[in-house]
Amino acid sequence: MNDQPIWLTFLVAFIIMNVLLIGMAYMTYFERKVLAAMQDRMGPTRTGPAGLLQPIADGIKLLSKEDLIPRAADKWVFFFAPLVVFVSAIVTAAVIPFGQTAHLFGRDVNLYATDLNVGALFVMAVSGIGVYGIILGAWASANRFSLLGGLRAAAQVVSYELILGLSLAGIFLLAGSLSLREIVLEQQQNLSIGPLEIKNWYIFSQPLAFVIFLIAAVAETNRAPFDLPEAETELISGFHTEYSAFRFSFYFLGEYIAMIVISLFASTLFLGGPSGPGSESHWWLGIIYLFFKTIIFLFFYVWLRATLPRFRYDQLMGIAWKVLFPLVLLNLVVTAAIRLASDGKLF
Amino acid sequence: MPWETLIFFLVGALAILSALGMVAMNNPVHSAIFLVICFVQIAGIFVMLGAEYLAVIQIIVYTGAVMVLLLFVLMLVDMDDLPEFHTAEPLTRVIGTLLGVMLLIEVAIAIGTRTISGAPGTDTPEAVALVGGNTQAIGRVLYTKYLLPFEIISMVLTVGVLGAIVLALPERLGLEAGRRRDTISLGHPRGTDTVLPIESGAETANLSGRSNAQPAGVGRTLIMATDPDDQPVKVGGRRS
Repeated sequence: MNDQPIWLTFLVAFIIMNVLLIGMAYMTYFERKVLAAMQDRMGPTRTGPAGLLQPIADGIKLLSKEDLIPRAADKWVFFFAPLVVFVSAIVTAAVIPFGQTAHLFGRDVNLYATDLNVGALFVMAVSGIGVYGIILGAWASANRFSLLGGLRAAAQVVSYELILGLSLAGIFLLAGSLSLREIVLEQQQNLSIGPLEIKNWYIFSQPLAFVIFLIAAVAETNRAPFDLPEAETELISGFHTEYSAFRFSFYFLGEYIAMIVISLFASTLFLGGPSGPGSESHWWLGIIYLFFKTIIFLFFYVWLRATLPRFRYDQLMGIAWKVLFPLVLLNLVVTAAIRLASDGKLF
Repeated sequence: MPWETLIFFLVGALAILSALGMVAMNNPVHSAIFLVICFVQIAGIFVMLGAEYLAVIQIIVYTGAVMVLLLFVLMLVDMDDLPEFHTAEPLTRVIGTLLGVMLLIEVAIAIGTRTISGAPGTDTPEAVALVGGNTQAIGRVLYTKYLLPFEIISMVLTVGVLGAIVLALPERLGLEAGRRRDTISLGHPRGTDTVLPIESGAETANLSGRSNAQPAGVGRTLIMATDPDDQPVKVGGRRS
């Protein structure tokens, strides 16, 4: 890790933010196309070649809509709540490493905005703040359906955040660090099982944690089949019922960016992040690897939405506390025991 | 250095302002929002001190869990339905003031003794770096020097969780008697079905038949809904 001038860090962060925004726009396109293919439809085709300009048209449409504020709404909270969701989703990306360093224009540039030594926990913390955007927006709307959606979101995110965090504890034990950069470095080493030599990706050593992480991540980002806070059929879109135009678009942006960031996070933790053949010598290869690993998770999100019906609320909480929580504790204890045994300290 | 000083003053000023806002706000939800902002600023100060782990835990535990659940309660219970919320009893005021002053003295003593003695603590940056960072340092101290208090807190929290479960599931534990069968509905003052008084235009006020000067809570009874569990269950059929 080298020190670099503050403007360079800002530049990197600026680029990451804008890439995320563009990524979000095309995530909606990707989702619609994949959903359409799964349901034997065409998806967007009219705007631009193969409908590629559709996200931009959608954006312009959203921005030009009338901005409605309910008369009974709490104006300031109503105004700030969507921004909380949006900002917290973007800030999370600051600790994701897109590689180590790149040599550009005679300078060594770090391919991450910051290497916080508690990076993985930082992601959890900031996504915990994001839930305020949902519950405050729901409350400020002065609408009972919204309030119900907000309360569901609060209970759901608090429950699943616990599981998400505990599922990562095994990785922290193995890597001995909370820094995402060091977790990636750890995964670049090789693991030899007899004659086989495989990469030390944590999906191989922590398969149970990986499955639990995937489930909890879907619930944490309020996506189908765990999208109870915005269940259209019962709550009329839940917490954002009263939101329109660009205020609604911030919720929308926040949700999709949170999906992308949690997919990046998952690839960093379990799939070795930017590591892959040749990525040590060519930094851009690492970014391409990370991109495709992230696409896998994003596809999984869409696939879930196309396949599974929405859960009932008690089922959702039941899975969290009665199934996933004991499993994740078991995983933690077993991992800790193995780690101790491999250090020769257990017996 | 100047950068850090500037950021420190920004974060500190915001922390104090939001703490003041938390006390000054009339609406409890607004107070809670200011408290959340204050927590985040304090986490920022922790980061500047090099205590990243404390900062993140501060946000995860207090901001991400405790305050969310507190907001939960504040939103469900309409403060206009609880008259004692606005008219604090003398006893409450005296106890509140006493506790506040005690906390202030405690913090002043803690800061003062260290400042007067002038000696740095044992956890110097070098000592922390030796064990591999502040996360590891906190872990070591918690599980060696403060192991007993740590375990006692765990026990107390476990008892708290058990208590909450017992309160939430009385019928399964055979404590049917004395159980309240009412739940408080979502009594949002502005989310109710009454016609809203409009600021301008007397005729609309006449239409609604109420005076504009009347505060929202007066004359409104606490909305109680019966527990859905009270509905008679058809034998052999599923409750829908």
